Amino acid sequence: MTRTTLTMHHIARVEGHGNVHVDIEDGIVRDVRMNIVEPARLFESMVVGRPYDKVSYIASRICGICSSSHVVTDLMAIEDAFGIEVSERTRMLRELLVYGSYLQNHAAHLFVFAAPDFTGDESVFPLAEKDPEFFEGGLALKALGNELCAKVGGRSIHPITAVPGGFTYEMDSAEYIALADKLAAIRPFAEHAVDVFAGFPIPEIESAGDFMALHEDGRYAVVTGVPRFARDATAFAVRDYRAYIDEYPVGHSAAYFSRRADTGATFAASALARINTSWDELTREARLAAAKAGLRPPALNPYRNNVAQAVELVDVCVRCEAMLRNLAEMQGSSAPVRVVPRAARGVAMTEAPRGTLVHDIEFDETGHVTRANIITPTVHNLSDTECNIRRVAEQLAAAGVDEHTMRLEIEKLVRAYDPCLSCSVH
Amino acid sequence: MACTDTCAQTRPRVAIIGLASCFGCQLQITNDEAHLLDVLGQIELSYWQLASSAPEPQGDVDVVVVEGAVTTEESRRCVQRWRERCRVMIAVGACAVTGGIPGMASDALVDRCDAVYGGDLPDACGAVCAPCSVSSVVRVDFEVRSCPIDTADFIRVLEQALYGSNRFELSDTMCGSCKRNESGCLWREGKQCLGLVTLAGCGAKCVALGRECNGCRGLSPHANVAAARRMVAAMGMDVDEFDRSLELFNQTNSLLQKENR
Repeated sequence: MTRTTLTMHHIARVEGHGNVHVDIEDGIVRDVRMNIVEPARLFESMVVGRPYDKVSYIASRICGICSSSHVVTDLMAIEDAFGIEVSERTRMLRELLVYGSYLQNHAAHLFVFAAPDFTGDESVFPLAEKDPEFFEGGLALKALGNELCAKVGGRSIHPITAVPGGFTYEMDSAEYIALADKLAAIRPFAEHAVDVFAGFPIPEIESAGDFMALHEDGRYAVVTGVPRFARDATAFAVRDYRAYIDEYPVGHSAAYFSRRADTGATFAASALARINTSWDELTREARLAAAKAGLRPPALNPYRNNVAQAVELVDVCVRCEAMLRNLAEMQGSSAPVRVVPRAARGVAMTEAPRGTLVHDIEFDETGHVTRANIITPTVHNLSDTECNIRRVAEQLAAAGVDEHTMRLEIEKLVRAYDPCLSCSVH
Repeated sequence: MACTDTCAQTRPRVAIIGLASCFGCQLQITNDEAHLLDVLGQIELSYWQLASSAPEPQGDVDVVVVEGAVTTEESRRCVQRWRERCRVMIAVGACAVTGGIPGMASDALVDRCDAVYGGDLPDACGAVCAPCSVSSVVRVDFEVRSCPIDTADFIRVLEQALYGSNRFELSDTMCGSCKRNESGCLWREGKQCLGLVTLAGCGAKCVALGRECNGCRGLSPHANVAAARRMVAAMGMDVDEFDRSLELFNQTNSLLQKENR
């Protein structure tokens, strides 16, 4: 009997703290564990008793990189509870804020976290010498994401200006135009990045899991739409998420895991899930870049989430350029509308850069939180990651690859999911 | 960043570690894209799990940058271990400096764990302890405040730590910054702005953008919390709400406890 136990301790180039254990016996994978060792962060308890106008400020601190998404989702849940309608301009600015975090997140993940897996380096920094154009292009995309978030939200992370009902500050028309021009100028590099990431070698595996993302006809759903599973097109109302998403505890993880409540299937929530769900709603330029890279639904290889993120970079450049030009011209105000609290429950779901985010909050009549439940994208993805680690480990064990290669491919897979382990423990 | 071995030996060794946090302050370090290579060129980056798969180095380092709050016995031992191995320790961000948002959970910790995990705390959470700042566990030489840190502020403090340039510690509250900005006062609009008692140094960024200060830099050592409470009451506003707001970043701050009603 040959037995191999692989332990990847404190996996690097991801946010948060986690280990991966894989136990292989005679080529059969006996055990796979995503051991999330974050300390309990207890956010759902910390917002209880707090007034509604502090909730998004606190919840934002769940995650540095997707803070914009936490704020926007939280504000939408608050407004859902209180029956508040915000202006079209406010809705657009929120979408822009989330898209700004797509640029930040995808650029940081692809270039800083994932790229070294394929260039054979420990970090992105050697690329500064080996391929300065690629290095600088990646950082420029990330910097533009930071700038977009800072211009809309007041700073690159943990936005200041987005409050219940609207925005406390807005940039002027000239700044909108200047940002639009920058996005137009950087798009060719984003298209190049799709080709580069599509060219990196990956194991050929097919996930048996499902995919979930928000969907809306005629629109790439990010802060709108209804959640939908890609395999059987099961759609459900945001408010009913508990009947479709089962959050369950596992002893080896400080984060809850999630799976489909109806079928028990694991699922991915990610850029790849969005592309599988909303392919028809991508901009023409993004679809073209994806097709050229051989990415089209059903795209079932979880390693391809990297390419899916690069495709979304192209999509964001095109989409946000148009939104920014539109905002520079259009009339209307984003000043906060009047918010009157009431005793009610509010639920909102958005597509954070890493996948679907759920905020579910109950308030008393004075607008203080009485209960909160938050599900982050990485919570959705953990069980699916374990399943696909098993698949790839079995495939590699059957091919007789050495332990070192197996470790690298498993780490590469974990990183391809773009996990935020600190976020998953909230 | 090509560097000969000789050069690498003379550059100060820097490690960056993260405890309980949103990782946002570590991200802010990478967010100065324009100067990132200049900064990295001055140091030997010995360990940074977020950006590199290089394993934890052996031996001493010159500077350790710590993000996040201490929330477990494991993280307490971790900062103690790094403290013994370094010449200078820099705490970055509200979590590390004041206990920050994680510090909000320091009261009724057990109840909170029960509420979130239904009385069955996974082993993977570690040996949970009441969240606290890094400086309440070990000696910290430099601080970079705010939630999140300002990237330029970080570089300024890192250079102080590396080269021993002038230390410059502010102690005034935020109100002076708003006067310089001519941004008006949000108290006049009926908003409870914590700039009144919060340590200055961020330029009162939030207030300049129309949002009240939530106190992420922590209480100023000169804050007169008792007088602030009297003012809140005199303005016909809720003093309890003011105190509750202060908890966001000062729950574990001895300055707030000293001022207890």
